[in-house]
Amino acid sequence: MSVQPTGGTVVEIPTFETARLRLRAPRWDDFDTYVAFLASPRSEGVGGPYTRDEAFPRFCTLIGHWHMRGYGRWLVADRETDAPLGIVGPMFPEGWPEPEIAWSVFDGAEGRGIAHEAALFARAYAYDVLGWATVISCTAPGNTRSEALARRMGAVHDGVCQHPHGPLTVWRHPAPAAVREGAA
Amino acid sequence: MTPHLADTPVLTTERLTLRAPAPRDADAFIRFFTSERSRFVGGPKTPREAWNFFGTEIGHWALRGYGLFTVTRTGEDRALGMVGHWFPLGWAETEIGWLIFDAADEGTGIAREAAAACVAHAWGPLGWTSVVSYIDHGNDRSVALAEKLGARLDPDAPQPATSKGETVLVYRHPRPESVA
Repeated sequence: MSVQPTGGTVVEIPTFETARLRLRAPRWDDFDTYVAFLASPRSEGVGGPYTRDEAFPRFCTLIGHWHMRGYGRWLVADRETDAPLGIVGPMFPEGWPEPEIAWSVFDGAEGRGIAHEAALFARAYAYDVLGWATVISCTAPGNTRSEALARRMGAVHDGVCQHPHGPLTVWRHPAPAAVREGAA
Repeated sequence: MTPHLADTPVLTTERLTLRAPAPRDADAFIRFFTSERSRFVGGPKTPREAWNFFGTEIGHWALRGYGLFTVTRTGEDRALGMVGHWFPLGWAETEIGWLIFDAADEGTGIAREAAAACVAHAWGPLGWTSVVSYIDHGNDRSVALAEKLGARLDPDAPQPATSKGETVLVYRHPRPESVA
């Protein structure tokens, strides 16, 4: 088959920039990087590894979430090069205990504070734009880097939630007022 | 700004309006995909899986530029089902798929009317070079519809990589004479 994606139809997703990052809509040319992430052991925390075919509906749903909820996870790109670095943002799929700020960083983009920078923006967006009063983040057992980021953002342990892939640790972020006062 | 699908076509037929899927269609979609009625189209699914799959339908539009339409009767907005263009990774050829949410809406010819419009749209504006419909073994209603549309079983067609790894019936829609 020679049918190529046209991209003529779009889900309009707002774009933002932080000091080093661009938070924008996922695009078809990000897909290979997303596939590599889902094929790697790094995706075990999100139920992986997955094949390329299996990655396709997940990538679609990333975009569909924006349409269904009015918000979702951005593709986090390098502000200078636009290279895809990860996926971060507010999300609340069906069956989730409550709305979450989620982060995944692609291979090779770890250790530079990218998830932190994007997650801080996402949390501020959830509080200031979406008007959320509280928000959680969930981490997979043994994902110590993610746990460290949750702690760095001032989130505290708040139980466990059950996911089809297994139990997840729930972290509750500081309330909007505390974040705005710069306590976290 | 509310995220939304932009630049999606709207197809109209004698009785129907086919429009892009909208969040307000999700409940009917999830009811269908969590019921036994979805057994020939990848279900039944859990509510979580069905919700995610609705997101997949929308994302497919964004990534491919086409997708399954929500089928409504013109003048009403109720989602009767989904019919349209489907080409996920793993599919061997571009497909036209259809499903009607409620049994009460079956037997009224709406799936045929919507699918015929989508077949024409595939050969025409989309410029597809082949059009198939993948049908689960045992889905006699869909086989009947494919044949009414003029499609014929193609036993030699390549199989799609389905999630359950099972073979499907491949019905091939004939290229209209007006398409070179």
